[in-house]
Order: sequence, then structure tokens, then C-alpha cells
Amino acid sequence: MRARAATFGDFKCAHCHVIVSSAHLLSGVNNRNHCPYCLWSCHLDLYAAGDRLSACKGPMKPIGLTMKTGRNKYQRSARGELMLIHECSECKTLSINRIAADDDAETVMAVFEESLALGHQMYLQCQEHGIAMLKLEDTKFVRAQLYGHRPEIPMLSWK
Amino acid sequence: MNTNDEDDVGVVFRKTTGHYTVHSRGRKLDCSLSSLIHKQLIFPTADPTSLRHAVQEVRELDHVDPVAIGDRVRYVEAGDGRGVIVDVLPRDSKLSRPAPVPGQRVFEQVIVSNADLVLPIFAVANPTPKWGLLDRYLVSAEAAEIPALIVINKLDLAWKNPSFDEEIEIYRRIGYPVLLVSAATGEGIEELKGALQGKQSVMVGKSGVGKTSLLNAIQPGLGLRVKAVSQGELGKGRHTTTHLEMFALEFGGALVDTPGIREFGLWDVAADELAYLFPEMADYVGRCKFGLSCHHDQEPGCAVRKAVMAEAISPYRYQSYMNLRREL
Repeated sequence: MRARAATFGDFKCAHCHVIVSSAHLLSGVNNRNHCPYCLWSCHLDLYAAGDRLSACKGPMKPIGLTMKTGRNKYQRSARGELMLIHECSECKTLSINRIAADDDAETVMAVFEESLALGHQMYLQCQEHGIAMLKLEDTKFVRAQLYGHRPEIPMLSWK
Repeated sequence: MNTNDEDDVGVVFRKTTGHYTVHSRGRKLDCSLSSLIHKQLIFPTADPTSLRHAVQEVRELDHVDPVAIGDRVRYVEAGDGRGVIVDVLPRDSKLSRPAPVPGQRVFEQVIVSNADLVLPIFAVANPTPKWGLLDRYLVSAEAAEIPALIVINKLDLAWKNPSFDEEIEIYRRIGYPVLLVSAATGEGIEELKGALQGKQSVMVGKSGVGKTSLLNAIQPGLGLRVKAVSQGELGKGRHTTTHLEMFALEFGGALVDTPGIREFGLWDVAADELAYLFPEMADYVGRCKFGLSCHHDQEPGCAVRKAVMAEAISPYRYQSYMNLRREL
């Protein structure tokens, strides 16, 4: 197929209107495809990440998390890499995207918590696209991925 | 000096800096350019013949070179096979691109005039086809209202590009004629000759696709210089042809060989008209609530974008449209 188009430059998030830098140094990914603050994306890719061939261009909502097993045998987790699931608000296409280095961890966690309330229908829909959405039993894994493996710190009390 | 206006008209076949080879009545003349041709004389009335010939103002004309290959020109013969071009006759068509002049604004560069057919030449492989460049050529041809015939050379290397058939099918579906040829094996050369017969055609394409090899295959005996593409990773051409030249074909017609053009900007194409130059998009223009002012980019409900999503328009062609629109 044709060569991939070059990554577009900085952009303004269509959802939260923040200017987002596409610099690799900040995001750690080659194709910045979502806002690091609200995690919303735009439906730009069609066949492969970064091809920018989609004519839909609809806003894509982060609806949940999944994991993707990589080929790197030295990766941090044996279970794979945490990924965001986006759903296009216009054409309902589902896609999975790498979490960038500067994505807000609290917002990612909030997306996961909201996804737990989604109906079974959405889980099935993701399964049809070969995406296994993370469930309640994966909470420990998600926390470990986002905040690292650290011992629980007891809450300090005034007494 | 012979100044018979009726007879002294010829066609420019070749040009190098300051020199033009004009074919006229079976002769070849080496012509230079009259200084008057660069200027427009402004007279007090619209019709300079109606009143006294007092020139009010002299304007420099806005072009890089006022004479293009294929132009019909009026010349003054200076003897010894030489002449001076004094006028360029009105053109039926012209294929142009913008030519930036350092320190000045962009001027029009007419690549060839009075052409009946544009032949975008690409290679199946070595160098790999850049379809975005083909879209540029096709848009330029549509803007100039010259029919295009896509010629794919190096068919003998088809094994190197497995996705080629799928990619070229996009253009066939739009309705562009496609001819698969091989200058090396001679495959498809007879069909190409048939398409060129009796027409003034121009070959455009990036360096290394085999434009000159095709010309040699069409008309053996021209013996034009060809080179292999560089063997490095890039597989780029070596810019063997360095000037524009038109060749008279034995079986009727003429063919212009151009140097490889890596960059090809659009001249005199308005952003709002661009979608009309993509034949498959033209039917969808003006069919959404934004009407003719739709940019086909982010507008909700855009009919062109809907057609892309319904696979009536290739997403690659739509991407080319967006890339070209950003330049305008």
C-alpha cells in the first residue's frame, strides 16, 4: 500500500480546546492521536495508525481500556501494554491507541472506572472487533500500569 | 531580411537558455528572442491601430519564459539558418506550473503549449510510483482541459510491486485510460504508438521512470541518452534529460520529452474549484448544506466525505485532494 503520510503537527483538541504538541519527546509515540488532557481523539486513520486516510474526522470518545501484547520480551508487564479504546461519535468505529507518556493518569483511570458501568452490549461489540475491554478484575493491573508497583501507603490520621 | 507575415510562422521544438529551435516549412532555425516579446506596449486606446502609435507605457510581462515548447511563433529570418522570434500566436492549451524566482514572486512556467494529450509516466517499480504526484499531473491536465493517458512503464518489474494492480485500479475506476508498457521488452509499445498518432503529446514524470527510454522504443533511431536509476536505497533517477524537447514522430504527431520533475505545483487553480478537477468528486460538490462553499474537510454532513466513507471515492484520492488544497 501507499507510504504512510507524515504525522501532522500540533493541533487544538476539538473537545477541550487545548493546544496539543505532537513532539515525540513529550508523548513518546510517533503518531499523537489523542489529547493528553481529556483523551478524546479524532477519527483520522483508516487502515493503519498514522495513515490519515479517514474522511470521517469525527470526534472519538475514550470508552475504555484494553491491553495489547507486544513483541518486546523485555516489556514491563507480561500481560501487555495498556491501550485506550476510542469510539467514533459519528460512524461508531472502534480503534485502540497507545497511551502516550504525558497522558493524564487520573483521566485514564477515570475512563477505566466509567467503562465498568458500560453495558454488556459494548463488551460484545468490542469483542467483535477483536478488542478485549478490561473489566473490574483487571483493576489491580491497570493501577500497576498507571502508577507503578508500589506498596500501599497507609493514610495518615491526626490521632 | 524576409518579413512575410503569412509564411514566417513555425513551431518551437526545442529550447535551451536563450536559444529556440523552430521548425518551419521543413527547415530548422536557431532563433533568439526579440526583446519586444518580454514587454507589453500600452497605447492610449484599446486598439493600437486606430490612432497614432504613441506608446504610453511599457510593461514587463509576468512569465519566466514567454516561449514554450509547442508554441506557434512568428519569426523574422536573419539568414544562415538563424532567426528572431517576434510574436507568440494564441495557444489552444497550455500545461503550466509555478516557477519561484528567488527574491521575486512566483511566475508561470508553461511546460508545453498546444498539447492534445498529457502522458503521466510512472514505473511499476524502481522508482516506486508516487500516486500523489500522479494526482497532481491529472489535476493539472484537467485544469488545462487536456485529456490524460496514464502510462505505466517497466511492466517487466511488476513482481517487485505486488500492490500495484490494486493501486492502478483506482484510476481505471475513475475513468482514466491506463496503458501498461515496457520499454525494455517492447510490450504495449504498439498500443502507445496508436494513442500518440496524429497528436501533440507531452510526457511528464519524475526522473528515472523511463520517459526517454519509451521515446527510443517508440521511434528507434533517436538514440537519446538514457541511464540506469541509481542503485542506492533511494532508487532515484539521475536527471539524464536536462532540457525540454519535442520530437516529430514518423507515424504522425509529435511528442515532448521533459526532464524529470519531482515537484509539480498547481498554477491558476483556485481552492474552491479544486474538487471539480477530481472527476469522481465533481458529482458530489454542492450537495450538502454548505453548498459550493464547502471545503470537504471538517464540515458535518459533507457529501464528498460521505462518498469517501461509502467507498465511492478512494481515500487516497481524497487525501491527495486535501494535500493539494492545503497548498492553494
